Amino acid sequence: MKPLKTLGYVLALPVLLVLLWWASTLGAVNFFVPTPATLVAKFGEVWFGPRFFSDVLPSLGRLLVGVVAAIIIGVVGGVLIGSVKWLRALLEPTLEFFRAIPPPVLVPVLILLMGITDSMKVAVIISGCVWPVLLNTIEGVRAVDGVLSDSAHTYGIDGWARVRYLVLPSASPQIMAGVRQSLSLGLILMVISEMFASSSGLGFTIVQFQRSFAIPEMWSGIVVLGLLGVAMSFIFQWAERNILRWYHGQKEVENAA
Amino acid sequence: MQPDATPSPSGKTLPEAMLSVRGLKKVYQTDGGDIEAVRNLTFDLRAGELACLVGPSGSGKTTLLKCISGLMAPTEGEVLLDGKRVSGPPKKMAVVFQEYGRSLFPWMRVRENVELPLKNQGVAKAERDRLVDEALEAVGLAHVPRSYPWQLSGGMQQRVAIARAIAYQPEVLLMDEPFAAVDAQTRADLEDLIRTIWKKFGVTVLFVTHDIDESVYLGERVIILSSSPTVVQEDIVIDLPVDRDQLETRSLPRFTELRHHVYEQIQLAKKGHRPAAAGTVSAATTQAAPASRTDVA
Repeated sequence: MKPLKTLGYVLALPVLLVLLWWASTLGAVNFFVPTPATLVAKFGEVWFGPRFFSDVLPSLGRLLVGVVAAIIIGVVGGVLIGSVKWLRALLEPTLEFFRAIPPPVLVPVLILLMGITDSMKVAVIISGCVWPVLLNTIEGVRAVDGVLSDSAHTYGIDGWARVRYLVLPSASPQIMAGVRQSLSLGLILMVISEMFASSSGLGFTIVQFQRSFAIPEMWSGIVVLGLLGVAMSFIFQWAERNILRWYHGQKEVENAA
Repeated sequence: MQPDATPSPSGKTLPEAMLSVRGLKKVYQTDGGDIEAVRNLTFDLRAGELACLVGPSGSGKTTLLKCISGLMAPTEGEVLLDGKRVSGPPKKMAVVFQEYGRSLFPWMRVRENVELPLKNQGVAKAERDRLVDEALEAVGLAHVPRSYPWQLSGGMQQRVAIARAIAYQPEVLLMDEPFAAVDAQTRADLEDLIRTIWKKFGVTVLFVTHDIDESVYLGERVIILSSSPTVVQEDIVIDLPVDRDQLETRSLPRFTELRHHVYEQIQLAKKGHRPAAAGTVSAATTQAAPASRTDVA
């Protein structure tokens, strides 16, 4: 009963929206708005063929590499900057400058510097995704509880052990909040990096369809992006539940008290 | 600051002293001027002694403990552990803090919390298991190794912290008002637990508290601190029977006498009374801003 009810809640709004869409496209024929049936047909035709390997997988690969690299850079950099006072004083104003630059304006620059390559697209993704992780990690590292830190210190838990057993777990709620923001940014930047100059990928394909007036195909690409976002969000939630089990448990106990 | 020198050049330490605090002074430098938290503290703890440190609130108890545990460097004076000068957290010392909720790792289960310091020291797995089992057994928590600390009551969390401390096999166990945040019944149980552990493991215990009854009931000796800037007001031996009982011991006439005595001393301390010797010695060396020495009426 319970899983069914949950599923009902999850599907209710999408079903309603599709019904509305179906009803509103019943009589009128608008060139730019396909009917649900056309879209579903095109969706299968376009994306479950050679395009899956030539466009979807390369895009996903670049997204994955970019986001993972951004998380690693953000966490390592954040732990360093958050722990070392002089490093923070030295870097923070500069970081504010770089953070303020919208990553899309870097695309032409990176094309000039790196050429139209996969590395360029990954670099665009990293340049945007690194900030939420980096800044949240710095905050998380700085907020390590003083008593907990003293406890670790009195038991000789210093250096790398301190990072591993105290700093990283303690900052993990903030790190995960940063990762969540990075994922949605990553999807946007993946598309943008492929729109400017590219020969493959989801962003490239959608722009191609639009320019050749293949309207239902274009819409189906947008649906792919939306579904991708949903899938990423589910994977993230699953990972977060496992990594932050202790954190949510502790919050629950505190709220109940 | 003197450079690290072991053994200490002052050399006045009694040969059997496990923990020795010599002329300890701590001045905090703040924007509003210097604040002298501890003026001149000197006392020794013999190996295997259980001493309570009691003083009025704001008498620098926590500052003293931080200096002893090597978390903070004293402005003057030194702390010797087994003849060696303390310059950072020593291996032979464990500390139990008042804030049990903030001293255990919430992302680790009870057993992992107790095990971590040993693991970090590279103690072999079999030995580690034995020590952890023994410690959890001693504090009466052998049945919850897989719980997280936050799933336990406050008293049980503090037991985990105590288990972690004894599994570490310290020679000196420092406790900073460990039972100030638990309810009265739990507190009585935990007091008896400390006595039991002290006898079982033969560890030297320095127990800091603001509770006069607790200090007399627990200690073999009570060190009374003056109000800030702190000196030792009085150092008394608690000549109560070794086997103590919450009802029996607390109703002994001698318990009442000692309690009275400590209470009076604390009252004197609050009024700003200081032992004559300490007052004259430190008068020349004080750098504290006058405002910080207003006595509590």
